[in-house]
Amino acid sequence: MSAARYGMVIDLDRCTGCGSCMVACASENNIPALPQATARTGLTPMLVRRVSNSKQGSERREAFFPIMCMHCEHETPCVKVCPQQAVEVDKATGVVMQMPQRCLGCRYCMTACPYHARYFNWWDPSWPAGMEKSLNPGVSSRMRGVVEKCNLCHARLHSAMEKAAAGKREIDAADYIPACVEACPTGAIQFGNLADANDPVTKESKSPESFRLLARLGTEPKVYYKSKEAWVRALAEPNAAPASEVQHG
Amino acid sequence: MKFSRRDLLMWGAGAAAGLMVTPVPWKILDDTSKWSQNWPWIPQAARVPVEFKQSACTLCPNGCGLRVRMAAGWPVGVAGANTHPISRGALCPLAFGAHQLNWHPKRLRAVSRRGIASSWNEAQGAFAKARGEGPIVVIDGYPGRAASSLLESFAAKQGGSYRVVNGPEVQALEPYEQWTGVPASSLGYDLENTQTILSFGAPLLDGWGMPGRFTRLWAERAAGITDPQLRLIQVDSSLSRTASRAWQWISIREGSESALASGLARAFVEQKLVPAHGPIPAMTLAEAAGQTGLQAQEIADLARTLIERTPAVVIARENNPAVAALNIVLGSVGTRGGIVRRSQSKQGHVSAEDAIQSARAVLIDASVPWDFTPKVDAEVFRFAAWDGGPTKADWLLPAPGFLEELTDVPSAPTASVETYGIAQKLAKPSAEVQSAAQFLARLDSSLDSLEKIIQTRCQQLFRKGAGTLHAREQSPVAQLASAEELEEQLRNGAVWVGEPSRADGLRAELKLWPDAGPSTRSADWASDWAAPVLPPLASKLYIESALRQVPERRNA
Repeated sequence: MSAARYGMVIDLDRCTGCGSCMVACASENNIPALPQATARTGLTPMLVRRVSNSKQGSERREAFFPIMCMHCEHETPCVKVCPQQAVEVDKATGVVMQMPQRCLGCRYCMTACPYHARYFNWWDPSWPAGMEKSLNPGVSSRMRGVVEKCNLCHARLHSAMEKAAAGKREIDAADYIPACVEACPTGAIQFGNLADANDPVTKESKSPESFRLLARLGTEPKVYYKSKEAWVRALAEPNAAPASEVQHG
Repeated sequence: MKFSRRDLLMWGAGAAAGLMVTPVPWKILDDTSKWSQNWPWIPQAARVPVEFKQSACTLCPNGCGLRVRMAAGWPVGVAGANTHPISRGALCPLAFGAHQLNWHPKRLRAVSRRGIASSWNEAQGAFAKARGEGPIVVIDGYPGRAASSLLESFAAKQGGSYRVVNGPEVQALEPYEQWTGVPASSLGYDLENTQTILSFGAPLLDGWGMPGRFTRLWAERAAGITDPQLRLIQVDSSLSRTASRAWQWISIREGSESALASGLARAFVEQKLVPAHGPIPAMTLAEAAGQTGLQAQEIADLARTLIERTPAVVIARENNPAVAALNIVLGSVGTRGGIVRRSQSKQGHVSAEDAIQSARAVLIDASVPWDFTPKVDAEVFRFAAWDGGPTKADWLLPAPGFLEELTDVPSAPTASVETYGIAQKLAKPSAEVQSAAQFLARLDSSLDSLEKIIQTRCQQLFRKGAGTLHAREQSPVAQLASAEELEEQLRNGAVWVGEPSRADGLRAELKLWPDAGPSTRSADWASDWAAPVLPPLASKLYIESALRQVPERRNA
């Protein structure tokens, strides 16, 4: 199987901030809804943030940014700081993998992540009596005391790999669709293989309206955003000179 | 050799220091940590094969298509069914966590009478006694189902009455009943063919109607396009989520929607933008401007914008006759891209909001919103799957939860074409439950069962031979071999879609400009969600993110 680089293009002009991606992500990954969880302590591998153009009155405009692990490809900050080798970039898929069994919960990676896309799991998972029957059999319960993040629905990737291996073929794009992509009612989140020049997502990522968050850091995120609105694009590089992509040799 | 106290301390300190350079303490620490992170009592999902089944969501009357992941006989995940012709694979965010609702801590699991545990037999006995003593009223929140037919038949046989609680989307169509003579439940919006939508606070991008229908249309024809094919103009007193994504946001004072509607009607006529017919409002443009907080010129510009790209349609959030009348002024009733007649049914229903004269007992179906209280002094039998808090009902009767019963799914309230589907029972009831229909069927064995009514409806559709069955492939009903085949396909998730509505089948006449309707509030919209509780995972929306914060309103 040839190496893939799975990534996304999120069209912010299509995002209505409904939050379907967040709920579908939590459901897919057996994230419990704990009553003690707050905006600071909840586990939200996919979090939709509300942003505005900072104007008031009828001039005000708002947009919604779905934020998740950007699956940085170069000098991946979380990989570099992890003392336990609990994070690594999978060479076969480009997915930044988090292995909770290795994680000791030091949270260096949370500090290092420029996107605030990592979450510490403060509590043992629990559900009201009987609700454990509604858990997704493909995914383990989340471990307390470790850092969690988006893994591009790795269980779905495994399932697609098994299917591909059984049929002795490459992974079919229709077999591997992360839960957030599947849930988006406007089709704002597109998912594909950035290593494939013919993939629509690769083409979209090269659109002049596409951009990456904090591109100046040179971490080469594989999550792209897209917007026709200049004020939305400007949010990609807050408090910085206009972005310029870092070239790596 | 004497082993002194000092030697003991030195040995202990040396042993402790030496142990620290061996892997033993670290391994113990690591293992203890992992052991404590994986307590045996932490629930783990059963490692069993999964399968997918198609069904339909019954938590609101829109009936979006579902693709349900099943494991060990339980639903373990919900996604949209791409084969559904209207919802097209989209769902509201609440539906993605709906499979956990059946184990919600507020699930009703036992019959109770005024807070004291009772039984189904006692409830049956009390209801049978009450119907012998006086008239009964049956209230339904999701009309058009086979269960509704059974409820209606029972009420008719007993000489009682059958009433309906309409959601805000049907309420917004109620003013057209008196202007067209067609019941609101037979009307819909031809959104697919409209080019301009003026929404008065209707949360079109926030769960209004069938979420997949409008959001997909908007994404394809409007999102991010400077000069879109579909112009969405949102009138709202706050920057709601729909307003923030609309082509244009008209910010008005809270509660001044009727004034803006009157001002617009006036501007249409004064600027000769529409043929002069029908009444015009008494309110002048300047008065409308004063009430809304807009400039008179802004209202005049908005009127021109509406005419610029037609067909245009006006959508109110709820029953507001002044806003609804704009569609008559625009000529958008009974025309392509406007308000259309979905069904030829002439049968309307009496609203349960109207005062009920006298009744000995009121039976409320689980589809009726929890906070609905009938205006009558009678013994109330309330069916519900979840406990919504304090209630005036005398009897609380546990009803089937999400996907715990077989039911059919009639057309969505705002749809422009008729549809019919069947939501199959996929989950075992987690308590001893009965639906209102099952409860009444036990009291009167001459009533047809739900299965029989659904079967009859399938036979009628088959005999009519019209419409198309949408599954993985589309097949005209006329090409199906039998009514049984039609029913089987519907039970497996297919959806019947009727012939497109004829726009010219509807005529509206407005004799007087209507009075102002109620003020429109854009906060706390949770679609037409009928259950009194939300899925636990909705906490991601309401607590762990800022997505559902109430926006600041314009009051001045």
